[in-house]
Amino acid sequence: MANTRREFLVNGLCVTAAVPFLSSFALPRAGGGERVLVVVQLTGGNDGLNTLVPHRQDDYFHLRPTLARPRGGLHALDDDHGLAPSMKGLAELFAEGKLACVHGVGSPVPDRSHFRSMEIWHTADPDGPAGDVGWLGRLGDQIAERDPTVLSAVHVGDEDLPLAMWGRSFRSPTVRDPQGFRLREVDAAFERGRDELVGRRRSDGGEGVLGFLRGAARDAYGAARKMEELAARSSPVEYPGTGLARKLELVARLVSGGFGTRVFQVSLGGFDTHSRQAAVHDALLGEVSGALTAFQRDLEHQGVDDRVATLVFSEFGRRAQENASRGTDHGAGAPAFVIGAGVRGGLHGELPRLDRLVDGDVPGTTDFRSIYTALERDWMGLAPSTGVGALELFV
Amino acid sequence: MRRGVFESWRPKGGDWDRAAATHLFRRAGFGPRPGEVERALADGFETTLERVLANTAHDRRLRRGAHALLAAGDVETLQGWWVSLLVDDGAQLTERMCLLWHDHFATSDAKVDDVRLMHRQNEIFRELGLGDFRAMLHALAKDPAMLVWLDGNANKTGSPNENFAREIMELFCLGIGNYTERDVQEAARAFTGWGTAGRSFEYHAENHDAGGKEIFGRRGNFGGEDVVELVLAHEACPRHVAQKLLEELVHPEPTGEEVQSLARFLVSSDWEIGRAVEHVLRSALFFSPRARRSRIAGPVEISVSTVRALGARVAPVRVARTAEEGGQSLFRPPSVKGWDGGPSWIQASSWIARHNALAALAGAHGGGSDEAEVDLRAAFGGPESVGEVPGAVTEHLLPDGVDGGYFDVLERTARAAGGMDEALSLVTALVLTSPEYHLI
Repeated sequence: MANTRREFLVNGLCVTAAVPFLSSFALPRAGGGERVLVVVQLTGGNDGLNTLVPHRQDDYFHLRPTLARPRGGLHALDDDHGLAPSMKGLAELFAEGKLACVHGVGSPVPDRSHFRSMEIWHTADPDGPAGDVGWLGRLGDQIAERDPTVLSAVHVGDEDLPLAMWGRSFRSPTVRDPQGFRLREVDAAFERGRDELVGRRRSDGGEGVLGFLRGAARDAYGAARKMEELAARSSPVEYPGTGLARKLELVARLVSGGFGTRVFQVSLGGFDTHSRQAAVHDALLGEVSGALTAFQRDLEHQGVDDRVATLVFSEFGRRAQENASRGTDHGAGAPAFVIGAGVRGGLHGELPRLDRLVDGDVPGTTDFRSIYTALERDWMGLAPSTGVGALELFV
Repeated sequence: MRRGVFESWRPKGGDWDRAAATHLFRRAGFGPRPGEVERALADGFETTLERVLANTAHDRRLRRGAHALLAAGDVETLQGWWVSLLVDDGAQLTERMCLLWHDHFATSDAKVDDVRLMHRQNEIFRELGLGDFRAMLHALAKDPAMLVWLDGNANKTGSPNENFAREIMELFCLGIGNYTERDVQEAARAFTGWGTAGRSFEYHAENHDAGGKEIFGRRGNFGGEDVVELVLAHEACPRHVAQKLLEELVHPEPTGEEVQSLARFLVSSDWEIGRAVEHVLRSALFFSPRARRSRIAGPVEISVSTVRALGARVAPVRVARTAEEGGQSLFRPPSVKGWDGGPSWIQASSWIARHNALAALAGAHGGGSDEAEVDLRAAFGGPESVGEVPGAVTEHLLPDGVDGGYFDVLERTARAAGGMDEALSLVTALVLTSPEYHLI
């Protein structure tokens, strides 16, 4: 197969060699519990240029006559970059060294289709036809292999289970909220019968879809029982009243309460800002920043922040030039964020040059898979999805 | 001679049984009502199929009822109205196709934010969903809900918005790999000038890019209608539509040969979807073991078909909410891709939602159902004793039969119950919440 891909730049300083997985890479467990990965998906394609603003480049203001953010309102990260005005909380985490911003993250084979691009991020496979196993599902499989009794990966939210969380053998459950996870009681005879019916296996071993349904039902009943125990807990940290905050609050409760889950994904939609972007985008970034900051403070309060890392990504960035509807169309590279007490805070990767756009886009200059490898191998101590070298994101 | 892929089914002897009739009713509608299978067996396959195919006319009052409800302006009311049509006996096949097209041309009130526009789009599916696919596609391209949903009203010369142009190719008609990025960009230029004024489609000539375009290798001064025609003439289009029909009506993983064959039939029958549907429903393939109970029922299907199977009287908004809790909110699909369906329906929380709703419908929480009027005994042909309950319930809800182990659990539960009503409730709840029931 001819390799026509653009040569992918990996920043030499930040990349370690791709090494096959060995369990000895696993770092010692911190804080008595296992390390946890939380992924926050910004669905629709977040406008990276108006999130992490390269305000020293004059082209930014030329390309965005109505959407450019004035320098004054930004939260400065260094001389050249500032976070959007509504992202005060994340700027504080940056100052505390707990936020890594990675410039120009994208796929070596960029695609402007939401679905294809999301598939690429979810499967960590920019080349192949989309399989049905996602990168977080692979982690879930590995964890479940060691301890089948634990729900290794959980999707929190009311969306469909993302492809990222589809495992080969382990299937992540979705938790909407603790209430939505409660089984209404019937009576003991019914419950015995029900458990017997879902516990059955066919003697010939050929189970197919029915076997899948039985497994899913068994998992659901097991998780419902555990959830009931955790539902009573609460945190003294106040979260904003947003959807993303509610999801992350539940994640924090499950982590600190010892639910045993090590991989979480949550998402926030609405980033497909083709028209009249400004107010909507500000509100979304405010929701992201407020929720993540409360989440981090909660983890700190519970004393589990040293074992949680959070990745924030979107399927692509947006076109550098704004469109005539005061919005932006689908683009390519965009910043990704990693948050945590164990994270090497600061700016990583090659900063985007607006005078060197590719097809009107900020190109992806950091392969998203280098972040995955860092999270999978260096943080979680598990086998990475690909052989792409890791960004040095962890101390 | 080689037999055709969609060779007609000619049931012999016991082939036309409860399981076959239920299969037909579940796929061409939302399952049988009490007594409907018995009538189908008495009438025979051909008469029943004719009746299913002609099941396309609602009570006019029911359909018109929407207009009074729309003034309320909230999507829950609109969902309730649609559920009342889904449950109704009047047009089961029509409504099955409405739901199919709603999933395919997935448009959400989350962005459209106007129930009148959502209702109008729903009526396009109802009126054209069994008719000429080409006419439906043209109507949808100019449908105000679609224009708002995919930014067709923000598409101007000089800065074309690619959203609709991309999805008509990627999701609606062709599939990835059958067009280029450039085709999308050029098609977006052709759609410039289309937009909405109030709740109507309007063309603004001053916003239209009248320059030459090249789409699928053909050059011309194309406008929006031309793009729709070019998409329809693309060889991938009938395959894409056939794939959707087969996944929904027959089997979640149709073979390439099946897709190709139905695609050819669709083109040769002048894109009449109703004829393609009849072609499928008449086929031996449709009734084959591979097709039977091969799909995981979606939340709307499971809720509506259970209400019908039990002959339950439930507030339609309540049924809609149940489906929403199970992961399928009508008029609010998660994205333009629609619902992923299949295994993705079943997650821990959605399974628990199904479990709770179905157990409640069966009145298993004690003291009968608090949300529905249900006469379980009548629904299952009037079993005379507790001992007859497991047989009567499974005959109606799982007509393909259950094995001995499954039946033992039902018998034990029935015996442990305190009397006929409780036995009916608990056994029904066990069957409804068992994984077997969710395969249709």
